[in-house]
Amino acid sequence: MPEFSLQQALNLALCHACEDDDRVLVFGQDVGVLGGVFRVTDGLQAKFGERRVFDTPLAESGIMGMAVGLAMAGWRPVPEIQFDGFAYPAIDQIVNQVARMHYRSRGVLPMPVTLRLPSFGGIKAPEHHGESLEALFAHVPGLKVVSPSSPSQGYHLLRRAIADPDPVIFLEPKSRYWHREEFDPAAPVPEMPVGTSRVVRPGKHATLVAWGAMVSRCLRAAELAAEDGVELEVLDLRWLKPIDADGLAASVARTRRAVVVHEAPLTAGLGAEVSALVTERCFGELRAPVQRVTGYDVPYPSGALEDEYLPGIDRILTAVQTTLEYRRG
Amino acid sequence: MAEVTFPLPDLGEGLIGAKVLDWLVAEGDWVERNTPLVEVETTKAAVEIPSPQSGRVARLHVREDEELAVGDPLVTFTVDDDQAGIVGTVPREEREPARRVRLSLPED
Repeated sequence: MPEFSLQQALNLALCHACEDDDRVLVFGQDVGVLGGVFRVTDGLQAKFGERRVFDTPLAESGIMGMAVGLAMAGWRPVPEIQFDGFAYPAIDQIVNQVARMHYRSRGVLPMPVTLRLPSFGGIKAPEHHGESLEALFAHVPGLKVVSPSSPSQGYHLLRRAIADPDPVIFLEPKSRYWHREEFDPAAPVPEMPVGTSRVVRPGKHATLVAWGAMVSRCLRAAELAAEDGVELEVLDLRWLKPIDADGLAASVARTRRAVVVHEAPLTAGLGAEVSALVTERCFGELRAPVQRVTGYDVPYPSGALEDEYLPGIDRILTAVQTTLEYRRG
Repeated sequence: MAEVTFPLPDLGEGLIGAKVLDWLVAEGDWVERNTPLVEVETTKAAVEIPSPQSGRVARLHVREDEELAVGDPLVTFTVDDDQAGIVGTVPREEREPARRVRLSLPED
């Protein structure tokens, strides 16, 4: 069984997507000659040529504007914006053009754009190189948003995103690029429709809901909880728009408690949406209010403070204990 | 393992190329970031170019006394996959995470 890091799995997904469909184009800053700052596009230009895989100027609005035009002309663009914090200059194109074109043209103009965006924190990078934009994008009608938690998930979800007829924002958890996993890309996979989550670890006392890099952290918290006889279910949400409300509800209906964990700040983060969905679907079954364990309402801090900012094991376990102890007064 | 090719960087002052005077490293050498790699001569001056990263020198693309243009491949490094990001640091897989919080199930 071959082993892949997340960066290698994503590289393979891009390679296979280019092989399977001549309309797939990969472009962005440093994706060609250099092979991407995280090596995700390594070797693709040599394999597919400069017309399919090409470097762009440092101009995020231009990168996404070009993606819009190419998609309107029948291509399937897979642009990369080098870091999450630099997606802001492209927000106008993403929100006003990419997300709306299909709707505005009454279905005439497709917009099969997949924006790859190295995202979230965890590598002690400089400012603007670690942000969590999922709530921002999920709020925009017309966009789909997804984030993988492992190499095999990365491979299959990126293939799924590129094949999708609609624009997909693909948030790559950069702190997990080097994490390795054995899997066979050619093996048949269970059906993974857009908007489905997966239970990574079954449990019965509470459900931890997470995505991206926080899934592995929740799995570690679940291992530690097991030492105390508490069985935590870990749900990898995967799709952040549309959210798998049915999967969420099914899990929480079983465990009757939910804790949602994300790197983004608390206020108006996606945890609020998850919490609202769970409350709407499972009000009768819930034993405790849904807890949120998140970053703080501050600009993303410098590397020295990152470990304090990101949800740690103790903060997750404390939230779990809060739900276990809750009594209706 | 991944390969990273370092092209002749823009030397400023409108210079479009340079001649390699002296290689200060050889193929197979391990170099740290900022180690002097090569001395090149331009129409203005002789300058040392430091290594942009740590890695093993896999190939020198230009021989001494040969000329190359800005942007042409200069040297290719072999780097570990986990050295392959150029921004930030690779997170270490945490050892057993420190925990202070213990859990207890409700009585019912």
